[in-house]
Formats: sequence, C-alpha cells, structure tokens
Amino acid sequence: MRAVPLRVLAALAFVGLVPMTLAAQQGTTVSGVVTGAAGEPLPAVNVAIPSLSVGAVTNDAGRYSFVVPVAKSSGTHTLTARRIGLQAKSVQITLGGASITQDFVLSQAVSQLEGVVVTALGQTREKSQLGTAVQQVSSEQLNTTHDPNIMNQLAGKVSGVAITGAGTQGGSVNVRIRGFTSINGNNSPLYVVDGVPISNSDRGGDPSGASNMYNSRDFGSAISDINPEDVANISVLKGPNAAALYGSRAANGVVLITTKKGNRGTSSTTITASNTWDKPSILPDYQNLYGQGSLGQFDFVNGAGKGVQDGNDQSYGPRLDGRTTGCAFIKKSDPRYDKNNPYVYDTTLPCHQFNAPDGAPWIAHPDNVESFFNTGQTRDGNIAFTGGTDKASARLSLGGENVDGIIPNSFLRKITGLANGSIDVSSKVTATGSVNYIRNTGQNRPGVGYNTGILEQFVWFGRQVDMNALRAQQYDANGNLFNWNYNYHNNPFWLQDYNPETDNRDRTIINGSVSYRPTTWLNATLRSGTDFYRYVINQNFAAGNINMADPNYAGAFADLTDVSNENNTEALLTATKQATSKLELNGTLGGNVRNQSLTTEAVTTSGISVPGIYNVSNAAITPTNSQNLSRRRVNSLYGSASFTWDNWWTVEGTGRNDWSSTLPAGNNSYFYPSVNTSIVLTDAIPSLRGKGYLTFAKIRGAWAQVGNDADPYQLRTTYTGQSSKFGALPLYSLGNTLANANLKPEKTLSTEGGVELGFGDNRVTLDASIYDKATSNQIINLPISPTSGFTSQAINAGKIENKGFEALLSVVPFRSTNAEWTSSFNYSMNRGRVVDLYPGLSTIVLGGTWSATVEARVGEPYGVIRGYTIKKDSAGNWLLADGLPQRGPLAVLGNTQPKWTGGWNNTVRYKNFTLNALLDMHIGGSIFSVTNMFGETTGVLANTLQGREVDWDNPGIVVKGIDEATGDPNTTTVTSEDYFQSFFRLHERYVYDDTWTKLREVRVSYELPVRFANKMYAQSASIALVGRNLVTWTKVPNIDPEFGYSTGNYQGMEFAALPNPRSIGFSIRLTP
Amino acid sequence: MRFNRPAASLAASLALAAGVSACNSDLTSLNQNPNSPENAPAGAVFTSAVANSVSRWLGSGFDLRQMEFLTQHLAEVQYPDEDRYARIRASDTQNTFTGAYNTDLEDFEQVRQKGVADNSAAEYAPAMVMKQWEFGYLTDAWGAIPYSQALKGDSGVALPTYDSQKDVYTGMFAALTKAAADLATPGAQSLGGADPIYNGSPSKWQKFANSLHARDAMRISYVDQATADAELKAAFTGPGGVFASNADNAELDWPGDGVYNNPWSNNFQTRDDHRMSKTFVDTLLSHADPRLPIFAMPTEDFQGGKSSAEFVGQPNGLSAAEAGTYFSSTSRPGAIFYPGATTAGFFGGNGAKQPSYLMTYAELLFIKAEAAERGLGGLTPGLAAQFYYDGIKASMQQWGVADADITTYLARPDIAYQGGTNGLKQIATQKWIALFTDGAQAWFEWRRTCVPTLNPGPDAIFKYVPRRLEYPITERSVNGTNVEDAISAQGFDDANEMKGQTYWDTKTAPTCQ
Repeated sequence: MRAVPLRVLAALAFVGLVPMTLAAQQGTTVSGVVTGAAGEPLPAVNVAIPSLSVGAVTNDAGRYSFVVPVAKSSGTHTLTARRIGLQAKSVQITLGGASITQDFVLSQAVSQLEGVVVTALGQTREKSQLGTAVQQVSSEQLNTTHDPNIMNQLAGKVSGVAITGAGTQGGSVNVRIRGFTSINGNNSPLYVVDGVPISNSDRGGDPSGASNMYNSRDFGSAISDINPEDVANISVLKGPNAAALYGSRAANGVVLITTKKGNRGTSSTTITASNTWDKPSILPDYQNLYGQGSLGQFDFVNGAGKGVQDGNDQSYGPRLDGRTTGCAFIKKSDPRYDKNNPYVYDTTLPCHQFNAPDGAPWIAHPDNVESFFNTGQTRDGNIAFTGGTDKASARLSLGGENVDGIIPNSFLRKITGLANGSIDVSSKVTATGSVNYIRNTGQNRPGVGYNTGILEQFVWFGRQVDMNALRAQQYDANGNLFNWNYNYHNNPFWLQDYNPETDNRDRTIINGSVSYRPTTWLNATLRSGTDFYRYVINQNFAAGNINMADPNYAGAFADLTDVSNENNTEALLTATKQATSKLELNGTLGGNVRNQSLTTEAVTTSGISVPGIYNVSNAAITPTNSQNLSRRRVNSLYGSASFTWDNWWTVEGTGRNDWSSTLPAGNNSYFYPSVNTSIVLTDAIPSLRGKGYLTFAKIRGAWAQVGNDADPYQLRTTYTGQSSKFGALPLYSLGNTLANANLKPEKTLSTEGGVELGFGDNRVTLDASIYDKATSNQIINLPISPTSGFTSQAINAGKIENKGFEALLSVVPFRSTNAEWTSSFNYSMNRGRVVDLYPGLSTIVLGGTWSATVEARVGEPYGVIRGYTIKKDSAGNWLLADGLPQRGPLAVLGNTQPKWTGGWNNTVRYKNFTLNALLDMHIGGSIFSVTNMFGETTGVLANTLQGREVDWDNPGIVVKGIDEATGDPNTTTVTSEDYFQSFFRLHERYVYDDTWTKLREVRVSYELPVRFANKMYAQSASIALVGRNLVTWTKVPNIDPEFGYSTGNYQGMEFAALPNPRSIGFSIRLTP
Repeated sequence: MRFNRPAASLAASLALAAGVSACNSDLTSLNQNPNSPENAPAGAVFTSAVANSVSRWLGSGFDLRQMEFLTQHLAEVQYPDEDRYARIRASDTQNTFTGAYNTDLEDFEQVRQKGVADNSAAEYAPAMVMKQWEFGYLTDAWGAIPYSQALKGDSGVALPTYDSQKDVYTGMFAALTKAAADLATPGAQSLGGADPIYNGSPSKWQKFANSLHARDAMRISYVDQATADAELKAAFTGPGGVFASNADNAELDWPGDGVYNNPWSNNFQTRDDHRMSKTFVDTLLSHADPRLPIFAMPTEDFQGGKSSAEFVGQPNGLSAAEAGTYFSSTSRPGAIFYPGATTAGFFGGNGAKQPSYLMTYAELLFIKAEAAERGLGGLTPGLAAQFYYDGIKASMQQWGVADADITTYLARPDIAYQGGTNGLKQIATQKWIALFTDGAQAWFEWRRTCVPTLNPGPDAIFKYVPRRLEYPITERSVNGTNVEDAISAQGFDDANEMKGQTYWDTKTAPTCQ
C-alpha cells in the first residue's frame, strides 16, 4: 500500500446498510440518478465500484454521489447499481479526474439470490457468500400498505417467520421464527435497530380475563414504536445459525432493522401520507328471533333479578315477534295457572323493557352490535429531509400517526422524530449518531377476555337491546346509571366515556459511534446505544363500575409505570482483506456490555373519596402499591472469521462467550460456537450455467450452538410483601417456586442446509432451507405437588425439537418494456415437538381459560390445547344422560401450531400503474374459541336457533346419540337452551381448525409522470389506493381466526377479541 | 510501520475485551433480588397466613360457593349452579386445597420453624395450632391428605404421600397437645401484636388448642369412641383449659378498610346471588329463634308491603328459572353481613368489619353437651342439659341477641332439653345453627350426625347431598401415584367420588336414611 496523502472518510459500514464511503480532497466525483422502469426515483440503491471499495446509496430522490480518491482515480472499473428486489446493472467507467455522471434505470427483479444484505452485528455481506438463511425486505416491499405495527407489515413476506396480528387495534403482534425453542422462556426474536438491540416488551393480553387491568387489555408490543417510513430495510436472521453471533439471544432469530440515512453531497425531501378507514372485519353471526331471558321468559323490573329472568343476560327469552304483552308465563300463584299447561304467557301483562314504555313491541335490533362500532380512521404522515456535504450527512424525519379506533372514544396517537447523521472528524475517524424519540399514546385500548373485552358484553347479551338507547342515555333522570342489565354489565358507551384508560410511552433510542480506520482493510468501532422508555398506564373507573369500583365509594383507579432501559456498549474490530488474488478474508473481534433494567411501579385502589379525582391523595381505601426492579447484565466477547475462495466458496466460523448476571457465580460463563459454508456452484463449475436454463446455483450448510439465559432472581426463594397492611400489620408470604442456585442457560443446537437456484436469467428463483434445531437444558419451573408447600421448582431439563422447511419461490411470468408481473410465494413448515421434560413429568401448562389449557406435552407439538371431550362410546356415538351430552375425559384436542404458513405476493406493473396483492395463508393448527362457547351458552349466536322453532312447552331437539343408562338410541327431547348449555366447558366442540387465508394487502398505485410531478413542484409523486385485511376465508365461525393478544408463549385461546380491522384508503408520496 | 496503527487498535480492542472480563466479578451481586427478602419477620408471615387461611375456609370461594349450600344455611337465587352441586367438582375446589398448602400452611410452617429456632413457644405454638385448624378442614372435606410429609418441599419432598384420615387425626391430637403444653413456657420471642387473633396471648392460644382438640376428638367419636373419649378428656383437662366465655372465641376481626374486608361482605358487595336457605329459616321460624332477624333480612316483598311473611327461606337446588322467581320473596342474609352500598342496592350494615369465627365458645359447649350425654371425656349425662342451654345462650350472646329474648327462647317447651337420642338431636340442631357462617363445620357435623335432615334440591345434579370432595386435578397429574393410592385405600369409587365416606363418616351414605 502506497503512502499517499489520503483521507479515509465515512466508514459507515458499522451502522448498517451503507458500505464504506470514501471521499478525497481531490478525486473523481461519480454521481447520478437511479430510477425505476416507470421513471420513479429509487431510494436505497447501492451504487459502488466493488474493486475499489467505494460507493454510495441513493437518497429518496434516487440520487447518489461519491468521490473516488485521487489515489484510485485511474483505470477502467465496473460501476454497479444494486438493490434488493431489483435487477442489478453494471457499466464500465473510466476514472481520470473529470466528474462522471451515470444514471441507472433498474427494473424489478425477483431474484433475491444476490446483492448486499445486512447480517449479524450489522455487517453488510454479499448474499451469495452467506452460509446461513437471511432474507431481506426493502422499504417498498414493507410499506405496501400502512399498519400501526411495523411487524404486521412484514406478515406474509418472509419465509420461516410466522406473524400473527393482534386481534385488537394497537395490540401485540406475535412473531415466531422457526417455531418455539423455549418452554417457559422467551420465544420472541431479538430486535436490533442500526446495531442497537431494542425492546419489544408488551403488557397485558391475557384472555383468561383476570380482573387485573394490566392483564386483560392488550397494550401492544413496543416494536410498534418504530416508524415504518424510517426503515430502509429489514433483514431477518432466521434462527440460530444466522444469528449465532448474538449468543444467548440468538435462539429465536433476529430482526435487524436498518434505518434510512442521509446522503453525501445531495439533499432531498420526501413527504408521505395515507388515510384509511377501518371497520371490524368479522363480527359474530347473531340470531334475531329470540330476545333476552331464559326458558322463554323475560320481564324487566330492575335488571338485577327482580323481574322474571330480568337479571339474566342470555337470549333464550320470548320470541321477538313484536308482541306487546305476555313476556312471562302465568304465575303459579295466579288462579288461572294450569299445572298441566304451565307455559302459557300471561297476555294481561305488558312486556317490560329497559328502555321503552310498557307495551312497546318486543322486537329484534339486528344491527345492535355492529352499530356500537364506529368507522375508525387511520391517518399518518411523514416528512423526511436528507442532506449532506462531502464530509457529513444527515437525515431528519418527523412522523405522525393518528388512529381513531373502531370502538367509541378510543384512539392511538404516535409521533416519531428520528435524526441521524455522520461526520468525518478526520481522514480516519468518522462519528455517527442518531436520536429517535417516540411518543406513543393510547386511549381505551380494547380489552381482551372476560372482564374488559368489549365484545364480552355482546356475548352475554339480549338480542332485543336497542344500542341507540344506550348511546343516547348513560345516566337516567335521577342520575343513576342507565343500562339493559344491572347484574353483570355496565352500559358499554358509559364504560368508554366515563372509565377511560389512557397510556403513553415516551421513548428515546440513542445511538452513537466512533470508528477509526487506520488502513483500508481494518476498522475499529466503538458504539453505544440506549433504548430508554417510560410507559404510564392510567385506568380510571367511575362510581358504578361493576367489576372494579367499590360501590361504597366514588370510583376507583389503577396506575402503572414501567421504566425500561437497555444499554449496549460494544467495541468491534473488523478486517476485510484480499489476501491473494483468490482468497478474501473477513474477520471480526468484539466485546459488548449489556445492561438492562426494568422498574415497575403500580398503585391501585378500589375506592376514592371525591368523584373524578383519580389521584392517590383522593384514595378512600388505602391504595395497594407495588414496586419491582429487575436488572440484568451480560458481558460478551465474540469474533468471527470467514474465508472466501475465488468468490465461490466461503467458510465461516464464529464464537461468542457470554457472562450473565442471572446465572450463579462460577456457572455463568458460556461459549457459543458456529460454522457455516456456502458454495456458488455456477461459479465453481461454470459449465453448469445455462444447463436447464440455470443461471445461478448455490448450496449452503451451517451448524450452531446458542443459548437463552435465565430471568433475573431465579436463584433464591424469597418472601413477597404487601404494601397494604392488615390493619396496621405488615404481611409477608413465602414464594411458591423453589429456587435453584445451580441454574444453567438453555442450549440450542441448530443445523441447517439450503439451496438457492436461479433460472432463465433469474426470472425464476428459489431460496430454500431445511433445518433441525433442538433446545435442551430448558429452564423449567417443574410443577411439584402444592402439598409440598411449593408449586414448582426451577430446574434445567427437557428438550424441544423443531424441524422445518422454508422456501421462497419467485417468478417473473411476464416482462416487457411497459409491463411486468412478478409473483413470489413463500412457504414455511415447522414441526415442533416436546421431546422430553423431566422424568415423571408429562406436561407443563403454559396457560389456560375456562378449564381448557395450552400445554407443552411430551411427544406432542409445543402448545397443544387440552380440554374436556364429549362423552362417547367406542364407536364414537355420544353417550347421553337425560337426552343431553355429557363430559368425557380430558384429551388433547389440537395444537396451536400451524401445519404451514405462506404468503403469495403479486406485483403487476403496467406503465405507471402498479398493483400489489398479498395473500397471507395460515393452514392448520387449532384454536379454542370462548366466544363460540359462551355464544351458544347464552343463545346469542345464529346457530342456537336450532330447536327453538317450536314453543317453550314443546321443545325441539332430540340429540343424536345413545342413552347411557339404557344403551338405546336417545328419544328424549330437550330444549334448545338445555342443549346448547350442556356444551359449556365441553371444549372439544369449540376447538377449531385454525385454517385461514387473508387478502392481506392490496395496493394500486400510480406514479405521476415526471412532467406532472414537476407541475406540482415535485420531482416525483405517486398516489395509491390501499387496503388491508380485505377478505378472510376461514371455516372458524363467528370470529377472526387471527389473534395474538401478546408476544408471549400462551397463544391459541380466543375470547372476545376485536377482529383485526379491515382498512381501505389512499396514500400519497411526494418528493419536492 | 504500516501495521502499527492496526496493531494499536487491535491492542485497544483486546484491552476492552479484558475490561469485559474484569466486569464479570460484579455480575453475581447484580442478581441480588432488590424487591423481596430471603428472610422475613415471623410476625408478618403469621399475619399474612392468618388472613389467607381465614378467608380461604370462611370466605367467598369455599364457604359461599360450596359449603353454605351443602349444609343448607344459604341458597342461591340467581345462577344457582353452585346450589345444584354443579360447581363442586375437583376443578372448582382444587384451588382451595392446593392454595392452603402452598400459601397459608407453608407460611405457618415457616413461622413454626423460626419459633423453634428461637426456642419460643409463643412464636411457634400459635402456628402449630393454626396448622391443625387448617388440616382439620382439609381432611374432613377430602379424607386422606398429605400430613406427615407435607410442607417439606424445601427439604426435598416434592411429592408427599397421603396419610389416612385416622393418622391425620392422631397427628393433630399430638400437635395440639404439644402446643398447649409448650405454651406454658412461652419463651423469649412472641408474635405479640402481629397475632391478629389473640394479640400474642399464650393462655388464649392454650384455650384454642384444647378447644380445637375437643372438636377433633368429637369428630371421630362414632368411629373410634375409645380414642375420642381419651382425647376429649385430654382436651378438657389440657394445660390452660378450654374456652370459658365468648371472650375466648377464636375470631379474626377484619380491618374492613376496603382492602381486608370480611369475605362475605366482599362477595355481597357485587353479587346478589345468595338467599337464606328454606331449610335453615324454617328451622329458626319453628322455634321463633331471635337470631333470625340478625341472620336474615326481611324479604323485599315484606318491606314493600306485598307480603306478610317477614322472613322466608329459599328452597335449595332449584333450576335457574325456578330460583329466579324467588328474587323478592325470600330473605337475603342479615344486614350485618352487608357492607352498606352494594351494586344491588343499599342494605345497611357494617359487614366489612364483621369478624370471622374460627371456633366459638358455643361450639365448645355443644361438644361438651354431647360428650356429657354420651358419657365421654369424663363428663356425665346429667351435665348435658346445662351445657346445651349454655351453648344456646353463648351463641345468642355472640350474635348480639338481647338477654330478654334469650330467656324467652330458653323457656320455650320445644327448646327444653329432652335428653337421650332426642337430646343429641337437639344438641346437633343447635350446633348447626350456631355454626352459621362456617358452612364447612356444619356440613362435617351433618355428615357425622345426620342432623338436620338435608335433601338435595329438585334440580341438583346429584340425587344426594355430597359427602366428600374430589382430589385436585393438578394433584392427580403431578402427584398421581400418591393420590391414586389414597383413593383406593379409602375405597372411593372414582366415578361417584362425591358419595365416598371418609374414615369418621359412619352414617348410611349417601342419604343418611
């Protein structure tokens, strides 16, 4: 290497996408514009001279610019423009001092086989050299349509990744990469933004309907803070092999998010906005022939049991035939009572209803549930400025999102600001930094489950209830609450208006780094990043709230504050050297210190003194306070070395050692190794190229060991205190889990192999992987007999195995100058199995509701649903008693994991029009639907009309089955009400095949011709019609079969979830 | 030269790496739990265990959802599943069983161990007595239970074996004898004010230990009269004596501060499901019992002038449709059990502070009356009448009945003690009344004596009153072998477990005919 006056600048490699950018005091400036086939500017295109290791990335206006140092400004070189999803193009340029302007027009290509991708530790690598499965999604692919949670926008787009939407607006999105690895631990992937791990914690989402407010609403997952408009691309490291360098956090894969950056030498502004209207996509199919009550009677007196059946919140009441009298039978005490004919309506008495004068007709309100909902509206806008000189660049992005929910008086608001920049401090030192501030606010987030799920009220419901009466009147003339039932429910509008839940998260993600590049092949970087947020939830309950407020006082409240902080400080040494003309070496060596803390403080009281003051000083009942601090530190050393021979054979090895604070001293150091290799067959054996239209072929294989450490404070059994005193006496109780002072981390061994093929000039490509991963040394809270004084004991035992296949097939069926159709299909199949747990232990219960459980059972897939069957004989006939089904033994009724998931994505472009359509498929797996169970118990669902056609004294169902007492076929007739209520907690009936296909995204966009755009003072402009969740095809009745509730392991139990909204609207994009 | 700088940065990185390793020494201390201690004061643990155990056995789950209907003190007017025995299966009662062990009993055991380490009976003996009080409910409701091997998870017994009910009783007698004896020398440490029942008084705990000893002894008197006789003697003459007045009652006075309320008032605050049982009200009405206006409220129909019947009981075990028709025509439990405002309306009362009775003087007197009538425990039949009258008087005074009303009641011919078999029936009936609010003890006594006559309601899903509870599902999955051994040792028929009879239950089952 010659000693020349060289200033090496802009070593941006460590922040992600951008490879090193070199500039010189004098040199050759290379710049230009990259556009798509329709003339639209293409951002995030990597334009570089690989042989000189110089290049740049286009900004939002499609512009790029870089300077080739004087020392290198000679000779003819290949200038290449490439971006994921586009056909790369190369031209030869001759460097000689004069500036070079080179524009590119790139067409869509479906080939995902080649190009630059972001891999572990934010390194950018040629995909063809990777020995592991990594799939990268560009900003355009991600932002086809808009969803408040960025992970929803990834659904259906990456093979090997199962993404389940929340089932409530603003709720948690469940993400699993290659199945579940840990029985009790975390199974969510690690999220890393620009090299800094960030939190995706969530709160709530327990469908069991605990009365604890913090469980029964789904407060969403923290990754939704990321503004999709700030994302340049997302790279998914599918599992332990690709993620091995993350050690004890690698078992569930990693989602690497790279944000957009400013560009050297150019500036631009981009404005995007969209507006969609949201409706519930699926509501239960209700019956409208029978009103509130039981056994055919209903007579409203006080709505709490005083009138005949008037405290009853079921719909097995009188027929909704417009009658004005006779809603109750003649009473036994009445002289007209005939004991031979007791079911005679007393027509001398008017039908009483909660909202209407006596004599008002007893009629259905078929749209009463639907009319509760509003048309929601989601608006979002973003403006981004980028600019730079030859020594510095910056990007500032401001975004806002405003969701008016589909349930009354609910909203989500998000503002984001992201500023990032880089500056060359000297010829060898570059500093970068970013500050991302997010404020995420919610009001009246929808509850899930029994007490707060808003749809719960419509499962226990009178079909005659007039929703308009409840909307119009929340208090009566005397100031008392006005409702259709006073036993079990509050007026749903009153709940929304007078019992607001509000929450807000203030979050700052700060990232700074300094890198030093002493020579062209070596880079040393010191980086520190912090993700800090404060999340405050306030739940107010007005006087009269049945579930939460003590009726002796003026209301109640519950507040909670989370303060979360994760800091990672890393030193990383990276070397890339062409050792010989054929051998390229890549090496890294690094160390990281991770500090995590989470402080939670909560205060609740069920009684306040003065109405409307939800402050602890107004508590009439001594508030219950709780305080919890959780801290963790992990120190790590890691390194990798890879060797690439002649551009076609790469071998890489990695190693990482973690020291975790959550494990016992002397037992807390763990080493995680991995190796992988890839061979580009078409380069190794050039004669293969062209055979059978083959243009590209690569095989790869990898082996890795990674881990999962314990949660903090698992090593010693402790006493739990109570903030509230018994009178004045303090309280302490010993914990129920026997701690284990010898815990070890969980260990995952993973092997994968893959093939990547391209045919016909890469118009058909296939990227497929098979894998096998097994996690042992599971940290299990082994259930022991509670009679021992403890319910469980922490141990290391058990093993889960996942085997699977994933593929991404892309085809360009048609391509011409003006038109192109690209189609890609991704497929993921994972078979998980609990191999063993602990001698004598056959199952671990992950969660449950209404006696049905989700379990990790030996020999079964992780997450089986277990519950009661319907009693049957050996031939499968129901065994009946008194004409009704009976409870059979407990059995495994299904498992929550799908057989396979897939996405079929189509893009059709004709001139300036582009149509995108994404079908998201979820095939197999099971769910337990409590909505259907209670819907039958209460008689609100349409199918419960069976047997009701005849009147109450002549009931109508003869259940097909064998009378258990006699052994003969059943002849006993039972009422519809008795029949449907006999299935309560016979879970078998309500476990459904969770197969569904959704038309997830549709976008029709029009790129304005440049001359029209120019008239709008814009360089480019586009407008699009967008839709999400437009159609759902499923056999699951009455509910949206897709629901997540939380990011946790306990999934598959539905109750009173709001359906994922169907959204239709438009979006615009403008580059002035 | 050109490699100097790379070498320098390599060295710097290695230094950082070394720094990482050096930090590792702090890791262990970082994992010290800052929220919860590994040790806690015995008093605070005792208070917590008392509050938990009393609300468990006399609270809104076990008592108000199962026991009160089995013994027909109360009935259900809305959603009467519990009253129809549809919520009495293992899935409904298992949390009562398991929670007792892993919450209160384990905490009492920790207090006992601390007290033993402190060599202070005043610290450990109350925990021993409370353990026996709880084990009594467990064994009487379920039969064989883990006793000798229970609560030893921290010394490695993860799956305790089940002791026969006979052995449990032997163990309880021994423990209560030891507690009462040891309390004669209280030691240096005392629970003091942390004891919400007796404020740390060793002599009161002696009386409770001996009285509970008498309860347990009488419970086995039909299956093993000799042992019962001996244990009753031991109880009546135990060091410190037995309850001598209502002032000795083992009761928990609830703070009633909205956080720790009497569990009945907590339930009635938001639920309006309960009414007085017809069985119970009719019995009280038949003798014009002055406790009735305290135990029960006048019906809504009476208050509204629609009916002249002031106190009416609700038939047990009706269908939902039938039960609902009694909404206004039957009596709610008395205002003393209500917290004032409820979601169903204002019923007066200051029930949040109403005490829960763990064992009363009245119950002890009825035990003495029965012992006397049967010539047990060193008592003679001639003493029975006075114990019987004193028992009624103690119960009435406990519930605040005026002295004049007590005198009137005791003077009634139909209350006069008849002696012999009739006398035993009178004693058992009065005990059943006196045990109001402790449905489980009343149910145990009904199983032992078949007094009063109880029949399941017309829509009950069993055609008999259940005589035992099913073992927890969780226990059968985790501790399966030991549970199955216990079931077969007791001869329970799995399919009809509710009919099975525990060791001391000697009457004709399941019907008491």
